[in-house]
Amino acid sequence: MRISPYITQTELNAMSAADQAEQTALLQLTTGKRVNVASDDPSAAAREVAISSQSGDCDQFLRSIASISSELQTADSALNSGVTALQRAISLGVEGANGTMSQQDRAALASEVQSISQQMLSIANLSYNGKYVFAGTADSQPPYVAAAGGIVYQGNDSVNQVQIEAGQAIAVNQPGSQLFSAAGANVFQALSDLATTLQSSSSTTDDIANATNEVRAAYNQLNSARTFYGSTLDQLNASQDFLNSEKLQLTQQTSDLVGVDANQAATNLANAETARNATLQAAASVGNLSLFDYLGSRGR
Amino acid sequence: MSSLLGTMSIAMGALEAQQAGLETTTNNIANLNTPGYTRERPVLQEADPIINGGIAYGEGVKLQGIESLRDSILELQISNETQQQGQSQAYVNAMSQAQTLFPDDTSGIGQQISNFFQSLNSLSTDPSNLALRQSVLSAANSMASAFNGAANQLSAVRSSLDQNVEQTAGEVNQITQEIANLNTKLAKLNSTAQGYGSFLDQRDNLVQKLSGLIDVSVINDGTSITLTTKQGATLVADGQSFALSTALDPASGVQHVYSQGADITGKISGGELGGLLQARDQTLPAMQTQLDSLASGLVQALNAAHAQGFDLNGNAGGNLFSPVSGAGAAASMAVAISDPTLLAASSDGTTGSNGNLANLSAVANQAVSNGMTPTEAYGNLVFQAGSAVSDGTTELNASNTMLQQLQQQQASVSGVSLDEEASNLLLYQRAYQAAAQAITTVDQMLQTAIQMGAGK
Repeated sequence: MRISPYITQTELNAMSAADQAEQTALLQLTTGKRVNVASDDPSAAAREVAISSQSGDCDQFLRSIASISSELQTADSALNSGVTALQRAISLGVEGANGTMSQQDRAALASEVQSISQQMLSIANLSYNGKYVFAGTADSQPPYVAAAGGIVYQGNDSVNQVQIEAGQAIAVNQPGSQLFSAAGANVFQALSDLATTLQSSSSTTDDIANATNEVRAAYNQLNSARTFYGSTLDQLNASQDFLNSEKLQLTQQTSDLVGVDANQAATNLANAETARNATLQAAASVGNLSLFDYLGSRGR
Repeated sequence: MSSLLGTMSIAMGALEAQQAGLETTTNNIANLNTPGYTRERPVLQEADPIINGGIAYGEGVKLQGIESLRDSILELQISNETQQQGQSQAYVNAMSQAQTLFPDDTSGIGQQISNFFQSLNSLSTDPSNLALRQSVLSAANSMASAFNGAANQLSAVRSSLDQNVEQTAGEVNQITQEIANLNTKLAKLNSTAQGYGSFLDQRDNLVQKLSGLIDVSVINDGTSITLTTKQGATLVADGQSFALSTALDPASGVQHVYSQGADITGKISGGELGGLLQARDQTLPAMQTQLDSLASGLVQALNAAHAQGFDLNGNAGGNLFSPVSGAGAAASMAVAISDPTLLAASSDGTTGSNGNLANLSAVANQAVSNGMTPTEAYGNLVFQAGSAVSDGTTELNASNTMLQQLQQQQASVSGVSLDEEASNLLLYQRAYQAAAQAITTVDQMLQTAIQMGAGK
């Protein structure tokens, strides 16, 4: 059979194939990616879009958690001092209910209770970044103001939710109506009642004990409602850990999906170079000898 | 019995024949590196014998002509494969441009969609914060721009393909005209005439070139060839070529291709033109439609969610994006509000509420386009652009390999081998020398015969 006399074309084809393999391996090594354009592996590229979005969401959730956490911590520590203040008010009440107390001593206790009430008011009107933390969602104005009948709540009962994981949102505030002015456990009413009772000369020790119990009820309500902040902070910490490990996992997935196996790419590169060199060597050794070369030498 | 002069004439014929062989060989050697050259050889035949007294005397050799060594079946296969290659190449080039508009990494529409939803999450931690509200609007603007950019560039790719269609049709016309001219020349020549082969070579080259541009069927009747598209539109018949024309189709806004008044745009299936049309009229419009569907689905869902809430002034939410639908939705996507206080984050009218942001965020997991969430729909576009290129490249590589093999086979029939030519050269030289020697011998014999009389 007659074979194609054009050896160079065969050589060129082989060389261009080797060149292409070399370029691919080189690109993969330099970018560290097996999929550099979608056509390298269309379904992996489509998966990467989803993973990249999930990974971005993780970063965002982590940022949101950081910004919520500091607000929650501020609220928590404010409530902590509120609880301590109420404990002090209760012990003042207990002290006042002692039958040996003079009216003058009780008046002194009453004035301390009033200053505790002032302290509680400033805690209840705590603001963070210009927002009133315990106002529900009506957070642009102080939730507790002094009115004719005492201190009234002008916030609302709404709670905001923030998404902190894919598909998981948590409440991030506790309205004042749950903390300071719940029905039957109103901090300001209780403190005001205690102060009034302590001040009044007609008050019996029983009256004082009752007023103290009123404060105790408000204390219990505040103390149990404030655990919301502690447990939310715990949950945020747990989510933070989860998101960080999720991010690692997504990074690993991306690398498995579109990353390059460096050893494999290096081997591919070496193979492509070998193939190219072999082709070149073959081309050089085949040369362009033909029968003419031998016929020509006869005459010399 | 024969005469000495007859013998002389046999030897003369042999000289001529060997000389023709030498000439052919030299021509082959001269065209060793000429692309598309088909090797030739002299067609030699025994001359009719003279029968005298029951004995047949050979009358030497006769030069019938020069023939080119070509395999017409291989040529057809090469033409078909060239059509496939031309189509895949044009398609891959076009779709590679489109592919860059849908990146899979941290740029492009997908990233902007993510950023937008992330900005909503950020705002939910402090819903009345004006800076955070502004960044939601910025993210919305960036998302709209990403859609605008991709849609406009997709259109730009399409219109550059449109120009290519026009140019390619022009190239087709130039080639078919040259082929028609060659048909005319070849019809006037005898197939054994000197130079016939080179005209055939030229025509074959043109047919292969044409195959790279458009799908062609070749009907070869020996001298003249008739070329049609695979669907039967005549391109060349004998000495006449039929030009393709292009005209703007008002319905589609792109150039349509006409042959003798008939619209053949949808019937061109091969060559560069086939690939350009496939990308321009099928793949790219399909991607455009999906992009528009994603844009309008996203806008509608986000507007619906936005309308459920209240802005910072306590008013019900208006449109977040200008309403868009159908074709051109992605290109015209735009944010409807520029005042961050108008963002309806609140679900109860209080400034501190973030309730409606959850409704807006939920759109990220809603089916907004063909049953897919925004990110899924974008991922699908990435997949489609990628597959178009990768499938096209696979076909292109297959065509290239096939074509290389076919061309090698063709070269094994038609290529010039220097070894072969060298040995032919020797053969013709020896035969020429021998014939010349025969003439010398006959001449001596003739002289002997003449001296026979003179010596009387």
